Amino acid sequence: MILCVHLPRFELVAAAGGPEALTGRALAIAPSGSGPARVGEVSGTAQAQGVQAGMMLGEALARCPTLELVPGDPVQVAQSWEQTARALEGIGAQLELARAGLAYFDGSGLVGLHSGEDGLILATRKALGRPARIGVAPSRFCSLAAALETRTRRVRRVSEREVRRYLAAQPVGILSYRSQTATLVASLQQLGLGKLGALVKLTAAEMADRFGEPGTLARRLTLGYDTPLRVRRVENQLAESMRLGEANSGLLLERTLEVLVDRLLARSQRRGRTVRAITLSARLAERGTWRESVVFREALSDPRRIRLALTQRLQLLPAPAVALQLAVDEFGPAGGNQGSLLDGERTARLARLQDAVSQVRTLAGPNAALRALVVDPRSRVPERKVLYAPWQQ
Amino acid sequence: MRSPTIAKPAAPKAPKPVHVEAEDGQPLALAGVRVEEVREDWLVEDRWWTAQPIRRHYWELITVRGQNVVVFHDKLIDRWFSQTA
Repeated sequence: MILCVHLPRFELVAAAGGPEALTGRALAIAPSGSGPARVGEVSGTAQAQGVQAGMMLGEALARCPTLELVPGDPVQVAQSWEQTARALEGIGAQLELARAGLAYFDGSGLVGLHSGEDGLILATRKALGRPARIGVAPSRFCSLAAALETRTRRVRRVSEREVRRYLAAQPVGILSYRSQTATLVASLQQLGLGKLGALVKLTAAEMADRFGEPGTLARRLTLGYDTPLRVRRVENQLAESMRLGEANSGLLLERTLEVLVDRLLARSQRRGRTVRAITLSARLAERGTWRESVVFREALSDPRRIRLALTQRLQLLPAPAVALQLAVDEFGPAGGNQGSLLDGERTARLARLQDAVSQVRTLAGPNAALRALVVDPRSRVPERKVLYAPWQQ
Repeated sequence: MRSPTIAKPAAPKAPKPVHVEAEDGQPLALAGVRVEEVREDWLVEDRWWTAQPIRRHYWELITVRGQNVVVFHDKLIDRWFSQTA
């Protein structure tokens, strides 16, 4: 039994400052700095006037001249979604997070814990603390269809027997919620295939011939088959942040990043593990935030290589920043000391030094070994010129 | 026995409170030591666009003992601090 929890317009609610801000207003998330100028999520009022998420800005404004654009707030969205996910994990749910506002979990093991299916849904609603659409079905795809169909504060249950019939009557647009099948939607609609049931009428070979692997997957999903949930591991998030003074661009920003990387790697909660993915985010001087996920080619624990990868992303900052944050998204295996090709005496000495620093830290705490890092040598305020950062080789 | 944990030290150039005797805003003595000469003074007004603005009047002084010291008067809280520049 898979539960799909859908919080409509999650990103817009976060960016607008609350659900009440959407009432009676035609709002849309402004296009981001890069790529084509397409609006993000739109409010109900804007939707009623023909504006849809992903529409070109010009067309959206032509359809709704009173459309108000709000800057996206990806950091707030991520924080808010993380809180929501933690709350759901608090009732015992092992979540697959599809995107902000959309999550799945297997409720089979939780039914006993919450005195039945109704008890579980009640606990889910309580944990969410806001109106949500909930779909309950044997497969993930079917539960998504049920959640999208139902109204807010309602639950739609689809039993094992009615899955195929139910899915066959659903619009093909649901496939856009799945990255592997999203590209199919436009083609299917152009071919006049409006409902999923049309896919089942074609054979698997015909689907594969015309649409390739996405087509085969779409057909399997329509028949009620689905891949197992990919649940996330629950652990405390490791993050470091720093407010920026004048050091909000260029070289100075890179030095701040250096301090953050060192601090993050020095945290005892890392337990010697390497880092596989990091999120770099910033609060911008003007309104709004910026967020960039960086997945390393291999799990790293070398601060220089991490810095090298992250510094390139700093160039993408759309405006001067007032605060910078680094958060570990995923850890790699422990160890991961990347040895150099020429392993000489210097490396051995540094290894001994690292060992000594570790021992001192164990005895006297993380502040026992620090290094002074010149952050902003030309600052008019002397205490901003140099900062202490954890000693990290 | 476990060693005591070391607290994080203040920033390398963090201001330290100091007792200054002043007249009309100009320092005359520093921790009881008379000021021989004022070499330079300058104003720093910064971060006025934030919730933590900075308004400081810096003085570079030579005391009668020959020390070269930089102090500043924090105009927002009306207190004196010494600081390495």
